[in-house]
This record gives sequence, C-alpha cells and structure tokens, in this order.
Amino acid sequence: MTTKRQCSIREKLTGIIMITSTTAVLLACAGFTVTGLLNFRKRLIADISTISRVIASNSAAALAFNDQPSAHEVLGALQAKPSVIAAGIYNQRGEPFAKYEPNHGITIPARALPDGVYDVDDHLELFSAIRLGDKRIGTLYVSADNRDRAARVQQYKEIAAVIVVFSLLAAFLLAARLQRLISAPIVELARVAALVSKEKSFIVRAAPTKLNDELGNLVNAFNRMLDELEQRDHKLVEHQTQLETTVAQRTAELTVANQELLMAKNAAEKAAAQSAQLARESALILNNATDGILGLGLDNRPAFVNPSAVRMLGMRMEDFDGKTIHEAIHHSHADGTPFPEEECVNTIAMRSGIPIGMVDDTFWRADGTSFPVEYSSTPMRDETGRHIGAVVVFRDVTERRAIEKLKSEFVSTVSHELRTPLTSIRGALGLLSSGLLGPVAETGQRMLKIAVDNTDRLVRLINDILDLERVASGEVELKRGPLDAQTVVNQACEGLQPMADQEGIRIVVEPFAGTLWGDSDRVIQTLTNLIGNAIKFSPPNTVVTLSGTAGATEFTFCVADQGRGVPEDKLSTIFQRFSQVDASDSRTKGGSGLGLAICQSIVTAHGGRIWAEKNEPAGTRVQFTIPLAVRAAVSQTAADAARPAIPNGDAPSVLIVEDDFDLGRVMTEALQRHGLQTFHTASGSEAVQLCAANPPSLIVLDLGLPDLDGYGVVSALRKNKQLKNVPLLVYSALDLGSAEQCRLRLGPTEFLTKSRCSLTDFEEHVIGLLKAVTGAKDSHAA
Amino acid sequence: MPPKQILIIDDENDIQEVTRLSLQLTESWTVIGANSGAAGALLALSECPDAILLDVMMPDMDGPSTLRVLQQQKSTIPVIFLTAKVQLADREKYMQLGVRGIISKPFDPLTLGQQIREMLAWE
Repeated sequence: MTTKRQCSIREKLTGIIMITSTTAVLLACAGFTVTGLLNFRKRLIADISTISRVIASNSAAALAFNDQPSAHEVLGALQAKPSVIAAGIYNQRGEPFAKYEPNHGITIPARALPDGVYDVDDHLELFSAIRLGDKRIGTLYVSADNRDRAARVQQYKEIAAVIVVFSLLAAFLLAARLQRLISAPIVELARVAALVSKEKSFIVRAAPTKLNDELGNLVNAFNRMLDELEQRDHKLVEHQTQLETTVAQRTAELTVANQELLMAKNAAEKAAAQSAQLARESALILNNATDGILGLGLDNRPAFVNPSAVRMLGMRMEDFDGKTIHEAIHHSHADGTPFPEEECVNTIAMRSGIPIGMVDDTFWRADGTSFPVEYSSTPMRDETGRHIGAVVVFRDVTERRAIEKLKSEFVSTVSHELRTPLTSIRGALGLLSSGLLGPVAETGQRMLKIAVDNTDRLVRLINDILDLERVASGEVELKRGPLDAQTVVNQACEGLQPMADQEGIRIVVEPFAGTLWGDSDRVIQTLTNLIGNAIKFSPPNTVVTLSGTAGATEFTFCVADQGRGVPEDKLSTIFQRFSQVDASDSRTKGGSGLGLAICQSIVTAHGGRIWAEKNEPAGTRVQFTIPLAVRAAVSQTAADAARPAIPNGDAPSVLIVEDDFDLGRVMTEALQRHGLQTFHTASGSEAVQLCAANPPSLIVLDLGLPDLDGYGVVSALRKNKQLKNVPLLVYSALDLGSAEQCRLRLGPTEFLTKSRCSLTDFEEHVIGLLKAVTGAKDSHAA
Repeated sequence: MPPKQILIIDDENDIQEVTRLSLQLTESWTVIGANSGAAGALLALSECPDAILLDVMMPDMDGPSTLRVLQQQKSTIPVIFLTAKVQLADREKYMQLGVRGIISKPFDPLTLGQQIREMLAWE
C-alpha cells in the first residue's frame, strides 16, 4: 500500500496526463475519422452523382430509343468502378429498363424511388433523373457500397491505432518526465516533511526551486517555515539552556540559602533555647525572690505580680481588678488618712520615668491591713529607649522597722537611763570640785578633776550616740536657713580656740564668701568636729587651715591639718561609726569615735557630700559641701546667721509654671533646698496674674500649658513694665529653634530641654540666672 | 525680780539633792522638792515657789501631765522642764505646752542657777 502512496502523486499526475492525452488523441482521431468518413460519403455521393450523371446522359439516348443493349453497354461501363455494386435504369414508369447486377445476390430495386440518396445498410443508393433535354425520361439507379468506406475506416482505424499507441507512448514518456515538474517538489516537500517529523530536526530543507508558481511558493514557504521553526527551535534550545543555567544557579543559590536558613534555624533554636532557659531562670528568680516584684504599665496598673508580692499583698494580678497600683495598695497613709495619687512619689516617678529608690512607706493588703514597706521604682524602657512602664520592688520591713524602733527606743531609753545617774554624778562632782562645799586637798582636787572630766566624756559619748542615732535615722529635722559661711566658720573656731591654743596649733581662716542654706547649729557642729579632729591630730606648732569655695550649686568647706594623716585605704572608712585610724587614739584623744559619723549624717541630710584626702605635704584634708542659698543683694549680718533662720521676705522668689504637678513638686523641692521661696502654678493665665501681683525674681516656664501656653504667657508678661526684664528659664519638652526662642525671651532667658537636662543642671541654671541678675557677692567660679 | 524659792519635782532623790545644793551654793535660793508629779503639784499650789523644775520622765504622772494639772489649776508659776531626752522634736513639743524653758540632763551644777535666771528673765 505504501508504495502505492509514495507513487501516488506521480502516478496520478502521469495517469491524468495520460488520460487527458489519450482522450484528446482519441477525440481527435474520432473527429478526424468522422470528418473523414463524412467527407468520404460526400465524395462518394459526389462520385456516384457524377457517375450517375455521366451514365444518365450516356444512357439517355438508349432509353429514348428503347435501346436496351446500348443501355446495358453503358451500364457495363460501371465495371470500371467496383464500388458500384448495382445500377439500373428505369423508364418513366419506374419500371426497370436495364440492369447492371454484377454481384450475386444484389439486385436493383423493383421500382424506382424518388430521386435522392438512400443509405441502405452498407451501401448507398442514388436515384437520379435521366433527362433528354429538359424532359425526364427515366431514373437512373446506382448503388455503391461502402467497401471503400470500409477500407477507409479500416485505414482510419489503423492510423488511429498507431497514432494512439505512439501518442500514448509519447505522452507517457513526456508525462513521466514532465510530471516531475509538479510532483518532484511535492514529493520532496513530503519527504522533507516526513524527515522533519521523523527526526524532529529542523535542519533539513526542501530543495529550493526556481519555480515561481504556487509550488515554488509552497516550497519557499515551507523552507521559510522550517527556517522559522529552526530559529524557534534554536531559541527554545537557547532558552532551555538559559533556563537550565538559571535553574542551576537558582538551585545553587537556594542550596546556599537553604544551608544558611538551616544554620540560622539552628542558631535561632539555640537562641530560643537559651532565651527559654533565661526566661525560665528569670521566672525562677522572680518566683523565688523574697522581695515583692511588680511590673507596671504606663497606666500604673500591674502587668506582673510575682509570688512573693502575691503573698505579701494577698492579691494576685486578677485581684487588682483594673485598679492602679496606688488605688489598690497605696491608697492611704499609715495612719489611715487617704493618700491622693497625685502626691504619691511612685506615681511621680512612673509618669516622669524617674527612678526612685528605697522609699519608706506603707502598703495595704487585700484584707484591709497595712504593713510598712521599703520600695523602689525603676522605669522600664524597651530597646528603642521608649518608656513603657516601671518595676516596683518592695519588701516588708515590719520586722526591720520594729527592730529599728526597738533600737531607737533602746538607745533613747538607755541614753535617758544613763543620763539620769550621770546627772547626779556630774552634779555632785561639779559641786565638789568647785570648792563650794569646802576646800579640797590638792590630790583630792586632782582626783575630782579626773572624775569630772571623765563624767563629761561619758556625757558626750552618750550624747553623740544618741545624736548619731537620731541623725542617721532621719529623726532630726534640720532647721534650715540662710547662713553666712564666714560667720559659721568663725563661730566654730571661737569655740575651739582655747583648745588650739592649748595644743600650740594655729588656726588659719581664709576668707569665706558665700551664703548657705542649712541648719546653723548642725553646720557649726560639723565644723567643730572637723576642726577639733584637726587640732587633735596635729603636732604642736603646726597650722590648721580653714578654707571654702562657692560652686554652682553648693559651698565646699575644707579643713586641712598637718598631722600624721590617714592611710589611703582608710580615707573612706573613717566616716563610719567608732572607726579610728588607730585604736589607741580614742583613749588619748578623748574622742568618741562617732564624730565623723555624725558629720557625715549631718552633711548628707543637707544634701551635701563629705570626703577626706591626703594633704600635701603631710596631713589630711576633709571637705564637705552644703547647698548654697540664693540671696538677694544684701549679705546677712552675723546675728542673722547665728539664729536658726526662717525663710525671710528678702529671699528671692521663684515662680514655677508647670502643668505637671509631680514635676512641679520635684522642682519646687529642689529649689527650696537652696532657700528659695518657690511658688508653683499649673495655669498660664494664673501665672500672669501672680507675676503681676508679686513680681518674682525668676520664672521657670513650661511651654505646654492647658490654657495659655508658654508663648502666650511671655507675650502677656512683656506688656508689663515690671515683668519684662524678669529672668526666665524656659523648660520645654523639645529643642527650640532660634525663631521660637526669640518669641520667648523676657529678661535674661535660658532654655533647657527636659529630656536632656538633669535636676542638678536645672538647679545650676536657676542659681546662675539669679546670681547674674542679683550680682550677689557669693558668686565664685568653682 | 530674781527668784528666791524653787520647787524641784523629780523622782530621783539624788538629783533633788544635787540641785538643792547647787542652787543654794551658787544662788542662795531655797529649794523644795517632791518625788512625784502629784505631790509636786500639791506642793506648788500650796507653797507657790517662784519657779518649778519639772522632770519629764516620771512614773505615774509625767512632766507634761503635771504641767497640765497645774495649768488647769490656773497656776502661773513658770515651769522649766528637766529632761534627759533632748530631741529637737521633743523640745518643740514641750515648748508648745507652755514651759518657760528646757534644761537637759545632765546639767552643769555650777551654771544651773544662771540658766534658770535667764529663762525666767524672759517675760
């Protein structure tokens, strides 16, 4: 079957051509044949006609003269024409006259028919008229057969056959060759297509042809298509290669990434495990800590309550029931009076993000009982430094308070108890040794003196112990007032001059310039202690020097001696109770061992510091600081300094305008430490009114106020002649640009940004501004 | 007018004796004494001394209570507390009660009289 298909186009074409040719040839032959035959008939007819005419004319005479033999003679001439198979003459009546019947069996018709040609079977019969002149005298009958015709046909047939054969051959040959013009390209095309399809390759092409016809177009189109396909194939392959490369790349990358991920995952898991461990440890710590730990959110509500806290407060986190810490456990003072939240130090700390430590207070349990606590509050910040809450750590100090109370009471009671017999002893000894009770022998005098001295020493010791206890436990309230530094120094020295003279020590007092804010008695007590120590530990003929300098916020006193000095490692411990550099000192020098401890307590209570250093070339320098007072121009008289002063009308006044009450309080307390009369308002319009009524020496101004803001306040103040030169400290949340600062200037104005300024900076600026304005004599660069 | 008779109310006899001796020898004042607040008050009201030295810490009726009794009795005799407690807070408290002064124990027997005179001099 396939062979048939493969050849089919060729076969078809060849076949078509052959059939067409054959048909044409046959048709032509047929045509020729027919035409030939027709012509032949015509000719035959013509021939016969001619013969007939001749015969007719020849036989006319015979007929006319009824000459049968002549007629037969004439007819006999027809022998020359073999095709004439019969002839006959008929008379007028149509009766045969003469006959010519050369062939057996072929006779003439019995009667003459009308003139004309008659096709009868295989011969022609012609009846024509015999005329004599114009008169028809008879009819001539001639019958010719088609033998010529047959021969002719035969001839024709042969010719045709030959022609056909040769034509067919020629046609075949030509066809076979010429069909290639059509079939070859097609076959080729088919082959190439099959090849392409079989090999799935687009490299092959059909042989290009120079034909311009449809086949050529087809081939060209096919080739172009193959080109196109080849290109596409290439592109595809390229693409694929690219893809493969890309895929390989990506796979490599992914593998790497995967590995990294795996590593990261491991690291993360490790970190998570560590973190979990840490969390567990933290939880363990938190859960096992004996102190109560509360985590507070910014709203002052507990977010975390550790088990100890739960135990101490009798409240779990749920039991807080939406209340703030203050409402839940800090709502009242120890005596039951209500404790408003705005006054609560912890709330202040919470809101301002300030840490507070070791506050003694009272917490209330769920059951309504209270217990004394010591707590601290530390602000919590997240990684960005944003304030997110606070951690409150507290402990139940009931026991400790009780112990402290016992101790206090004990000391107090014991001191009292000790004092009572001492009164009698001292009284008796004093009277005895005075001689009022009669003369006493000299040795007796000596003994009495010893007794009296030691009694005094005992009294002092008891006083010191008690004093220290009180000052240390904060029981003693300092009565603070403005103190002139020079005056207190002089007073201290006065008391010790006799002792100094006795020891051969010279006290050198350098000029002191400065006004402090402190308790005169206590400061003098401190100085006395220090100068006393200096004298005690100085060898004769040396100098004890007293000096002092005023700094930005505090005054520093310095007592320097040239004695044996204190070993470096003991410089900080000498302020502890009962510490003596050398144990033998207390006996020989008559000290109680508490002097420096008392000094430290006093200085600390004032908000100052005390420390000791080595003096050059020899000896010790002890320095302590007391906060400065800020005084208006006039310096105090000695008398004022001596009395425990009450803040008087000359003290500079500061108006703090700040809508945050807690911050306002912190600032107020800070400034009051320096003896400044401090007022506070949260309202801008109220501030303006207050200033108009009582011009302050300095205004501290917050910008964000509820009613009239900072800018408004300054504008209003500028309109007042008395107020437009008042010094101003602007205390704002954000840094201000120069344009904004211009709008806020009053008198000498300074600008502080809340977040970047500490409380000490604030104090410094206030004091600095006031000094600049008042030009007080107590300004010394530190 | 300088005082002449002082009443000392203190549960310690020795202190009474020392005080008496001291004031006699240094000021030539007479001194009467009582051991308790109750007895002292009675004595004060009957003898009308020029001043009363009143010990603060006594069993039964303490100094402030005795003072109150005297005040209730509309006594105008100046009272000076004698105390071993010398805390400032206590001093303030005592001053508020209306005493003329506070002398702390132990005191110097030689200057006791002077202290009392100075306190009484303030009027």
